[in-house]
Amino acid sequence: MSQPIRLTVNGTDLERSDLDDAERLLDTLRWRLGLKGTKEGCRTGDCGACTVLVDGESTLSCLTLTREVEGTRITTIEGVRGEPAGPNVLTAFGAEPALQCGYCTPGFVMALTGLLQEEGSTHRTSNLVDELEGNLCRCTGYRSIIRAIGALGDELR
Amino acid sequence: MTRSDGPAKLEGRAEFGTDVEVPGMLWGALVYAPVAHGRIRRVPLSGVRSMPGVAAAVGPDDLDRLLPGGGDRNRPVFPRTEVMYRNQPIAAVAARTASEARAAADAVRADIEELPALIDLETRFPEWPGPEAARSEGIIAHVHARHGDPDGAFRSADLVLTETYRTSGIHQVAIEPHACVARVDGGVWHVTTTTQTPFGVREDAAEILGIREADLVVEGTWVGGGFGGKGAAFLEPYALLLAAAAGRPVRLGFGYREEFLLGRSTLPSIIRIETAVSGRRIEARRVRLLLDSGASLPGRDFATGYSIGFLLGPYKIPAFEMEGYAVRTNKPPFGPHRAPFAPQCVFALESHMDELARRLAVDPIAFRLEHVWAEGDPTQFGQRVGPFGARAALEAARARIAAWRTDAPAGHGIGVALGFWSTGTGAGGETRLRLSERELVIEQGEREIGSGSVIRGLVAVAERVTGLPAESIRVAYSDTSTAPYDTGVFGSRTVGALGQAVEKAAKTLLGILGERLGTPPVRLEFAEGRIAVLTNKGLRGLETLLTDTERTAGGLLVGGRHFGTPGTIDESRVLDGTFYPYSDFTAAVHACEVNVDPETGAVRVVRSAAFHDVGVVVDRPMAVAQIEGGVAMGLGEALTEEALWSSDGRLLNPGLLDYRIPTLGEVPSIEVVPIEGFLGAGPFGAKGLGEPPVIAVPAAVANAVAAATGARVFELPLTAERVVRALKRLEGPARA
Amino acid sequence: MRVYLASVATDGKANSHALARPPVTFSFVQPTSVEAALRAVGTPGSVAIAGGTDLLLDFDNQRIAADRVVSLNGLPWKHLTRAGGRLVVGSTLPLRRIELDPRVAVDLPGLYQSVHAVGGVPLRHRATMGGNLVRASPASDLLPVLLALEATVHIVGAYGSRASSLDDFLRGSRSVDLAPGELIESVSVPYPAPSAYVWQRVRPAKDISQVGVAVARVPGAGHWNVALGGVVPRPIRSPSAERHLTRLRPKAEEITRAAEAASEGVAFATDRRASEAYRHLLVSVLVRRALDKAIPPEAPS
Repeated sequence: MSQPIRLTVNGTDLERSDLDDAERLLDTLRWRLGLKGTKEGCRTGDCGACTVLVDGESTLSCLTLTREVEGTRITTIEGVRGEPAGPNVLTAFGAEPALQCGYCTPGFVMALTGLLQEEGSTHRTSNLVDELEGNLCRCTGYRSIIRAIGALGDELR
Repeated sequence: MTRSDGPAKLEGRAEFGTDVEVPGMLWGALVYAPVAHGRIRRVPLSGVRSMPGVAAAVGPDDLDRLLPGGGDRNRPVFPRTEVMYRNQPIAAVAARTASEARAAADAVRADIEELPALIDLETRFPEWPGPEAARSEGIIAHVHARHGDPDGAFRSADLVLTETYRTSGIHQVAIEPHACVARVDGGVWHVTTTTQTPFGVREDAAEILGIREADLVVEGTWVGGGFGGKGAAFLEPYALLLAAAAGRPVRLGFGYREEFLLGRSTLPSIIRIETAVSGRRIEARRVRLLLDSGASLPGRDFATGYSIGFLLGPYKIPAFEMEGYAVRTNKPPFGPHRAPFAPQCVFALESHMDELARRLAVDPIAFRLEHVWAEGDPTQFGQRVGPFGARAALEAARARIAAWRTDAPAGHGIGVALGFWSTGTGAGGETRLRLSERELVIEQGEREIGSGSVIRGLVAVAERVTGLPAESIRVAYSDTSTAPYDTGVFGSRTVGALGQAVEKAAKTLLGILGERLGTPPVRLEFAEGRIAVLTNKGLRGLETLLTDTERTAGGLLVGGRHFGTPGTIDESRVLDGTFYPYSDFTAAVHACEVNVDPETGAVRVVRSAAFHDVGVVVDRPMAVAQIEGGVAMGLGEALTEEALWSSDGRLLNPGLLDYRIPTLGEVPSIEVVPIEGFLGAGPFGAKGLGEPPVIAVPAAVANAVAAATGARVFELPLTAERVVRALKRLEGPARA
Repeated sequence: MRVYLASVATDGKANSHALARPPVTFSFVQPTSVEAALRAVGTPGSVAIAGGTDLLLDFDNQRIAADRVVSLNGLPWKHLTRAGGRLVVGSTLPLRRIELDPRVAVDLPGLYQSVHAVGGVPLRHRATMGGNLVRASPASDLLPVLLALEATVHIVGAYGSRASSLDDFLRGSRSVDLAPGELIESVSVPYPAPSAYVWQRVRPAKDISQVGVAVARVPGAGHWNVALGGVVPRPIRSPSAERHLTRLRPKAEEITRAAEAASEGVAFATDRRASEAYRHLLVSVLVRRALDKAIPPEAPS
């Protein structure tokens, strides 16, 4: 169908030749690679449930062509423990617990992990709350998520 | 971690309905009606059956071939003659890939004659309908009740206040869309689905398909949020039909757009409330309700008779008349949405209560306290009010807002509203407890939808009865062919009703152990991975108490069941339709402080507090989480959430950008205040907590906005533009 | 008898169906030189993608179709440079990089505020300035600020380069002056420039602005520039407001007059986000607030 594509996903180098050129990273991860921890929500970039890291930067996998991230380093929720900030975020969300149904949770974890690792970002709790507004949650009313972020902020300071 | 599902969900290992994939699975797609109302002439499918990848295409003409008796005649899988709402599924396709299925479904050219559509309630009833309308075309339910002499009370009243309120359509917006995988194998129909009610789907889908419940197995998954939207059968009958036609498993899932376009939720309403007051005493109230029921079928309106009572409120009112019409329109059918239609009724009623208090120059909380039910008072239908924490909750709210008043900036407004709910300890369920040397397993038929009521609530009940710690208790799930029956996660009933079954089973278990020991157990203990029984005579390892058979079978097995007995109402007050008794009387008081931008009308809620009549707190972190989430949902209903339809029945905002649920920055601090001691029928006196947190929020926000600005907004949601219009700073046509 | 085409909305209106996996097909190329990119986008049936957070939605909704998508991700256009008093933003630079640049927030506060108003962080990691300009949404949060800053659009094509003022470049709703085979290389604005962007939405975060107002004081201009977003068919400057704002620190009554005059003659739409009357009200409020936010404080005496 098209040229083989090389991806590095959660530290593993892959080469696939069964991808469509128009394929979204979300579908590649979920249905080609079986990484279902990346959740499919709105597919319009409005909910953040599909957030993954591309070269460490939080990215909406529903609005990203897989072809455009060839050669990058992709991290999904299944590999977040390998990111510098990943374990802390998991611990903070788990301790609260900052989740209910859990469907938005991987997206929040990835977005927050990306923010904490971003150069130039200030990491103040108020900034983190402001900069997570791309992720929607319908269960928690966000309060437990804000508490988890606060706990993280304390650790970072 | 207080929830055992936390690690799997955090790390993306929990399999939700959208994640289910089986070998050889086909992808399904639905064909949607392109008109809001029409007469079906033909849905030709032979052309698409030869399209690339297509394995099956089914439409109305295939029902007789594939289903016993063609399926349910009243509720066919696909309409045979008449399209009732835009995008109603009229056929379905299964293909190798999702894209091929979609392409085939899009290629279907249905021959449909468009008929006039009714979209807007006010088109049908420009004026309030008279009694003659009750039996007219398109009224799918009419409820009417009267007590005392309301007309006399209105004639002699010092003050009569008549107001009209309007509420908007809303969506549940679980972040996980609907999805299921169906297969038909050896005469057994099987579906794996994201649902609040596996047994409810079994009952409903079997009826629609015309098959026996025993021939249908429903397996639940982790559910990515429900809020009422994942209750009855929805996608499952289509998927099962496709699987039957294709002879292979079929996945059918919604995209988000379809969630909005086809989702079944609360639809618009118009509410009129009139109250007669003498002195400062309410003597009579008349309420009328026009509820848009969408394309609901006769006999399937559940909201009108249940919710209209909320317009009278949990208040002592000597005389009343209430009348409601469920009006069929060409929109998707009305469906349950967390505390179905209660936030809307309470918005109208509690706004009206504040307006009455203002005219009487009475403190609004004092005015409520003078009228609110106490235990033993009769309801509108003569039922006796059970233990009810409304008064205590109102008094707690009064104390809290007095503290707020000392530091609230000028221009801020504080509002309070009382919500009432009857939590669902009535509907029944069963459980089995299996006690082995190493764990206590709760076998049951629900799936956790997020609130924690299953994964944590049932465990907490078992903990309290047996003394075992949570780490020794496990909740087991299975499909409807093996799980104990339960009606499902809705109506705030899991802990209250299924929890009672767990409580009874746990007590039975202790009783059996006591018989074997010859002395009653004090409690069970768990140490070093083993369970032991503590009695006055010391500790006894469980392995010595189980029979060989029990040990082979995985443990001592006991059952527990709870089927509540509904109360009764005084039918002499009912003039038409069906009204319902209440079970646990549950109060929910919300207080909030808002800042209103005087120029733009934008409302910002800066702090809030929720006072909840919970009976007892079964698990504090889960209770707090549940209330916080409910309050946030209520804020969305109060301020931004609104389904917009064009006059020809197109939903104008079928997406998360224009259907605005709250984001991280919009939810203020929420102080959670449980009001304990007014015991319900649930375990240890617990009352339900799934729905109450949302109920009073829109009304409290509306009252706070009125307090801040002096302007009353009579319509939900309170968008900035509506507030500015209420302030009389803007005229001319409103939004499209 | 009327026959309907089921499911496919041919009018591009709200009820076209973006399915879980819509039948979208195209081939993909990612040139690594500008020349190759120009050749590729000059081929009929090709469309350029620079981020794609908006473009891909149009594919899903079947509002556009293309045989080939040309990714600009391989081009050396992700720069943020300062030269000759102008800030030059490469067209494929993700918006997030503009936001995180420590000097943009100081030198061009209005630009920072408008970039920050777009979507959420994960979206801004992909969305680009060039993409935003070509998509030319009437509700764009970036365009009013760029108009107020008198931005220049630097365009390359097979027959050479050209520069266009943004005002000339914007033609209408989702319509720009870019010939087939041309690409935006960068956008430049003068700096530093006191500026501000304020907006009103039904929901404060993650929503489309009902109205956005940008103000900026550009070196050499004799007045504050005022630009309005949320206007159909495209964001515009407001000369009727600007003529009251010649001072660096306008007097209160001048600001009031500018705010009242700002939407004179402007045709706002009544749509599902706001009525025309409400938009007029918002403009007058927001013009004043934008100026209050942007006008530099008096130097201490």
